[in-house]
Amino acid sequence: MKEADTDSAGGGAVRTPSRRQSRRKFLIKSGGLLAAGAFGAVPLRGWAADPINIGALYPTTGSMAQIGVGCVAAAKLAIDMVNEAGGIKSLGGAKLNLIISDVQSDTTVTRTETDRLITGNKLSAIHGCYASALTLIASEVAERAKVPLITGSSSDQLNKGRTYTFTPFARASQFARAQLQMSKLVSDTPKVAVIFENTAFGTSTSNGLKEQAPGEGVEIVMFEPYSAGFTDASPLINKVKSSGANTLFSVSYLNDLILIVRTVKQFGLNMPINGGSGGFVIPDFYKNVGKLAEGLQGVAHWNHDVSEDAQKVNVEFKKRTGDFAFEYAGGLVAQTFMLADALERAASADPQKVREALSTLDVSSGYAAMAPGGKVKFGPDGKNIYGHPVGVQWQNGDLASIFPKEDARAPMMKT
Amino acid sequence: MLETVAQAVINGLLIGGIYALVSIGVTLIFGVVKIVNFAQGEFVMIGMYISFFLANQFGIDPLLSLFVSMPVLFAAGVLIQHFLIRRVLGPNDMPQIFLTFALSLLLLNLALMLFTANYRTVHTSYSDEAFHIAGLYIPVAKLIAFVVAMLLSGLLWLFLHTTDLGKAMRAASQNRDVAMLMGINPNRVFCVALGIALALAGAAGSLLMPFYSAYPFVGQVFVLMAFVAVVLGTLGNVVGALVASLMMGIAESLGVQYVGADSGLIVVFAMLLLTLAFKPTGLGGGRAR
Repeated sequence: MKEADTDSAGGGAVRTPSRRQSRRKFLIKSGGLLAAGAFGAVPLRGWAADPINIGALYPTTGSMAQIGVGCVAAAKLAIDMVNEAGGIKSLGGAKLNLIISDVQSDTTVTRTETDRLITGNKLSAIHGCYASALTLIASEVAERAKVPLITGSSSDQLNKGRTYTFTPFARASQFARAQLQMSKLVSDTPKVAVIFENTAFGTSTSNGLKEQAPGEGVEIVMFEPYSAGFTDASPLINKVKSSGANTLFSVSYLNDLILIVRTVKQFGLNMPINGGSGGFVIPDFYKNVGKLAEGLQGVAHWNHDVSEDAQKVNVEFKKRTGDFAFEYAGGLVAQTFMLADALERAASADPQKVREALSTLDVSSGYAAMAPGGKVKFGPDGKNIYGHPVGVQWQNGDLASIFPKEDARAPMMKT
Repeated sequence: MLETVAQAVINGLLIGGIYALVSIGVTLIFGVVKIVNFAQGEFVMIGMYISFFLANQFGIDPLLSLFVSMPVLFAAGVLIQHFLIRRVLGPNDMPQIFLTFALSLLLLNLALMLFTANYRTVHTSYSDEAFHIAGLYIPVAKLIAFVVAMLLSGLLWLFLHTTDLGKAMRAASQNRDVAMLMGINPNRVFCVALGIALALAGAAGSLLMPFYSAYPFVGQVFVLMAFVAVVLGTLGNVVGALVASLMMGIAESLGVQYVGADSGLIVVFAMLLLTLAFKPTGLGGGRAR
């Protein structure tokens, strides 16, 4: 199995001591504290503060690795940012130490890796796994071990029956609503064709759209599953054309989406396409689709133009990886600063105290507040009460926020 | 209504041309060498990557890279026949199945290792263009692919019917032992057959590149259709495979339009099952032509 990755990317990463060693260290130090207390002076600065372990669970191999690898780069960037700013001051400038674990895009591995990470290290908190299917499992394990987990995953399931899971960003149900509302930007009487790949991802997302469409006053004129990995999108697009739709929602994997976008263009159909989130709002999408991506719309839980801080993160991330900070990457930096804020207020690395501090988190400035709307405060279900998605559009090879009005940073480009 | 049907038929016909190139290769190898080439799809994939890298590195149009991908794969076919398949040609089928299946797995994983699982696309000036005729849309890239595919199929037919080597190939496919008695060198004929079949797969790859993404598993998508077409059009029958491929393209397209977008293949397989039930030798008749 893999070793926990303790590679220090220019920060205070140190090989984690085993449990036994840290307990011994703890005794020595607490003994020291008592003694120092007895003499009336606590010269904390004299000691190097113990690093605070943050677990990071991401799929860096397997089918979800593309985004997972980007998440790890962002996690390292975030840790460096916190540490360079002086670490956790209430804990004597303690540095954050990232312990990365590869969950291999697999639910079974996620369960064992989460367990191993928690039992093998003294963790203060965990973040991960980006993919909802994996995060659901990791959060169950973390819940039982009483270690707080903060995540950008969007599944609404994560807010049910959990007290150690925190979700600072928009939920899946909100994504569907935002997509439907965006269709009204284009037409006053939106007639939407929904095409979706016929496995769990496509069906659950499209059902969300179908359920909420009447409430948003959007008419769905075509609702069609297709099997992923087709050779030709023309029959499907021919069907879209004959449905009389004026907007297309496509819940698709990358390769199908490329074919769909090209075919829509070839058919001379002048309809806006909304590709949702996930694989649609990452730099790789534009690399593959190129100019045709211009004007395509999607939704994201974070975008690099939401605030000035986000722009700074974007510049730094670009310097390190060559690509702009995608939603999970940027969101992850914000999450790390939320953890830092909680650690600061808890003045303790104890996971239960960190959880307490997270539950009373209330920020509206700084890196921790880098979210659409610029405010983070968790409700009893671990949901950010201000959380909502942004509608984005590909403009000149970059993602621009165009919806809702208060988050829009660029006007919508007509296609 | 009529327009929708016509458009569906055109869409099906155009993609059927690509299926034809792959299935003709499979049926040619089966007819002449009497082995099933499970790796045919992987050679389409190699053709695509050749075109992708030529386009990406040297800016060569994928259609021009036909002149690279076809000779390269022809040579590969000759070598594979000479050094691998020749060794397993015997009364027992199992080693042949293992060989081509292993070749498929090997090439697939090699591609995964070398090129990663990422999708690669090539943009050409005509990738997104289409002719608009009487309310119908004919994508330029697919039309070119279809025309070239039909041209290549025609050339193959001429080769098989007018040249000595071609006639020898047909003779070997009809009765190998008698052909050998007539002085035909089977290994030479087999080498050329493999070469031609792989060159056609390479051509399919190059023709696909302007409108389809290359990735290591791409061959699997097309080889499934090819196998169905080969059975449908009678094993070993080149013309049968061609006709069956075009029919399947149209059936799939109409299936998507009128049955459901995830049911296009259901129509194709229903067609296959009905054919097997009522005309077990396939639509091309019992005789290889």
